[in-house]
Amino acid sequence: MFEIILILISPIIGGLIYGVERVVKARMQNRVGPPILQPFYDMFKLLDKQPIMINSGHIIFALMHFITLWVVVAMIILGQSILYIIFIHLLASIFLVLAGFSVNSVYSHVGSNRELLAIVAYEPILILIAIGFYIVNGSFEINMIVQNDISLFSMLFLFLAFLLIIPIKLKKSPFDAVEAHQEIVGGVEVEFSGVFFEILYMAKWIEYVFIYALIFLFVGNNILLGTILSLLIFLLLNLVDNSTARIRIDNLVKITLGLGLALSIVNLVWLSYV
Amino acid sequence: MSSFIIAIDILLLLYFVSQGVKSKNRLVIFFALIQLVLYFIVLSLDFFTFSDNFLLDKVSFFMLLVVNIVGLIIILYATTYIQDEKFSKSKKINFILILFFFLAVMNLTVSTNNLEIFFLGFELTTLCSYLLIRYRGDTLSQKNALQALWMNQIGGVAILISLIVSIIYYDTVYLDILLKSTDGTFLLPIVFLILAAFVKGASIPFHPWLLGAMVAPTPVSAILHSATMVKLAPYLILKLSPAFSPTLSVLVMLFGSFVFMGASILALGKDYFKEILGLSTVALLALMMAIAAIGTPEAIDICLILIVFHAISKALLFLQAGILEKVFHLKYLQDINYLVNNSKLVVFFIIIGFGSLTLPPFGAFIGKFNSIELIASLIGQNILYLFSLVFILLGSVCLTLLYFKVLTKLLATKNQNSQKQTDIGLVYKFTSWSLVLLLIIGTYICFEFAFLTIDQIIVPSFLIIVTLILFYTSSFKYAHRVKEYNCGEKDELSLSAYYFDIDNKYKKLILIVSIILICLIILGGF
Repeated sequence: MFEIILILISPIIGGLIYGVERVVKARMQNRVGPPILQPFYDMFKLLDKQPIMINSGHIIFALMHFITLWVVVAMIILGQSILYIIFIHLLASIFLVLAGFSVNSVYSHVGSNRELLAIVAYEPILILIAIGFYIVNGSFEINMIVQNDISLFSMLFLFLAFLLIIPIKLKKSPFDAVEAHQEIVGGVEVEFSGVFFEILYMAKWIEYVFIYALIFLFVGNNILLGTILSLLIFLLLNLVDNSTARIRIDNLVKITLGLGLALSIVNLVWLSYV
Repeated sequence: MSSFIIAIDILLLLYFVSQGVKSKNRLVIFFALIQLVLYFIVLSLDFFTFSDNFLLDKVSFFMLLVVNIVGLIIILYATTYIQDEKFSKSKKINFILILFFFLAVMNLTVSTNNLEIFFLGFELTTLCSYLLIRYRGDTLSQKNALQALWMNQIGGVAILISLIVSIIYYDTVYLDILLKSTDGTFLLPIVFLILAAFVKGASIPFHPWLLGAMVAPTPVSAILHSATMVKLAPYLILKLSPAFSPTLSVLVMLFGSFVFMGASILALGKDYFKEILGLSTVALLALMMAIAAIGTPEAIDICLILIVFHAISKALLFLQAGILEKVFHLKYLQDINYLVNNSKLVVFFIIIGFGSLTLPPFGAFIGKFNSIELIASLIGQNILYLFSLVFILLGSVCLTLLYFKVLTKLLATKNQNSQKQTDIGLVYKFTSWSLVLLLIIGTYICFEFAFLTIDQIIVPSFLIIVTLILFYTSSFKYAHRVKEYNCGEKDELSLSAYYFDIDNKYKKLILIVSIILICLIILGGF
């Protein structure tokens, strides 16, 4: 029962994280910032707008992106295999890419192509992290992983590699070339408006839940430590977001893939042979 | 051995020599003559251990299934395809006959246990591919056909050497006895058979022949890439893997996964639709060989699933490549504009084709997913497994990038609701739909293998079905239709796909590393 409620409210949790994040970011810049519930005010405003669309495929793919991400979060909460969840998450990203491709707009296409490159950057590392969990816990099942002790210290380098790919997934500087408002006007988002934009907006909230849920896997059954760790990462993420400049997409792939793979390989060798 | 088979073998090799002489190609003559000499050595040797000439196991059974079902669908497609070509009627009939002969030869090759008959089948597939590639008769076709001929003959030479060693050291030409008697010490005959598999499977550095085969009519590519010829490579490794020593197994695995990554990266810079498909075949075949080399029962099941579903998906994609050429007169990615306006069906087939190679719940995905799981459990045994795992991850993510960047210009719509959909014809539709149906049925056959739990198959299937239902039912009538905002740009902008080409020095590096790995594998036989 608890799980089902958690699944149902997960977009709201994501929205709240996003709301808090905007305040924290503003305070870091010496601004007051919007109210914490601002994402939900935005939602009601967007729902109220006249529905405008380009073609139905565009909307359907975006809707499926949102639904699939929600399924991903549901599968994490229900304790499915982490490796499998990563591939369902890939399916969600592919729906977003197809949405971007289905309109005749250059910004949308550049956004989609960059999304594909971002997948190249983070997907192998996510899978290697899953394999790290497998070596430590003897299983890919999240049910098993959260029952075991904390694995953060034996998987320290893998955790660092994970830190490296969080900004890509959450579209944070310096790895936010996929969205890059000043450059490609939000990429895939550019052609959405009104209630249909709200779908993508909420999909982003669920991405937050996805990432923070994965952080909890590193601490196993220690929920208190997981909360502290999430808060620390939350602060670190916003600090980095505020203080770094965006890097180009090709460098994004090179840095995350090069550094991330090196860290993961070292950690996996260490796990298997030491 | 029956004198009939010997006669065919000798006639075949003499034909290769004559083709070499006719086109003044030294390499063809050279390899054909070497094969003749080696073949006479094989005939002069005696052996006294006998077994069955034909032996069907699970691997052969699956191969027969793929060859005959997918092969026949492609031939049905070819009957319509070839009608639009400007050839004489007898030449068109010849084309279909050669395709049928090809399937027959494949059936022979995958069901035999006698290496001499296997050699005959191997050479006959070489002959069929040679005839089919040069079918158009122009200079380029002839050149590529000769290239395919000499490269494939390296495989023939390797099999003959393996035969000689096997007769001298193990006193047999029968595969099952050979596999039982090697006991992991002197593996030279096995190693040369592996080399033959690499040649047939067009692994880097032997890939040019498969890419050159694209000049032939598209059904030829379809049948070469999916149902026949190249599938001999994973088949052979699957048959041989029980006899591998641990070192050899790891080396073949490392080679396979490296080629998987290398070919995927090379494919990222290509523009010709069939070439993209071709390099991705090279990559996936290498993956199959890598998995097959592990040799445990689970690995064999995974490899069989990859073989079956790769065949179906690739056949589907090549049929679409043919339809693009025949109906829409498109060959290159850069020319394909707004295809979804002209034919939603073809775009659907292409998405399903690419999607079924990478995404859940389709069979090829199940193969990849389980191979990652399997290798993860092996990392503790040998550090090299970790590296081949990293190669496989990089390769598969590059393939995802490749497949979906191709869709850039297919999906974009222009002037909605204005153009009429083009009808692609009954036979094209029927063959494509039957392949899609095979994909779907096949996914549920995977239950037999119990690789995924039921919810793991149902969840993504449900998502994809919902997408399709939404496409059919929702019209969004209440929404206001507009043109693209495009950030207010006034200029006419045109779309293009991304290409990722790598430096020539890296291409050379891929080539050199794979050659070094092959040398290591041959050394592993001693």
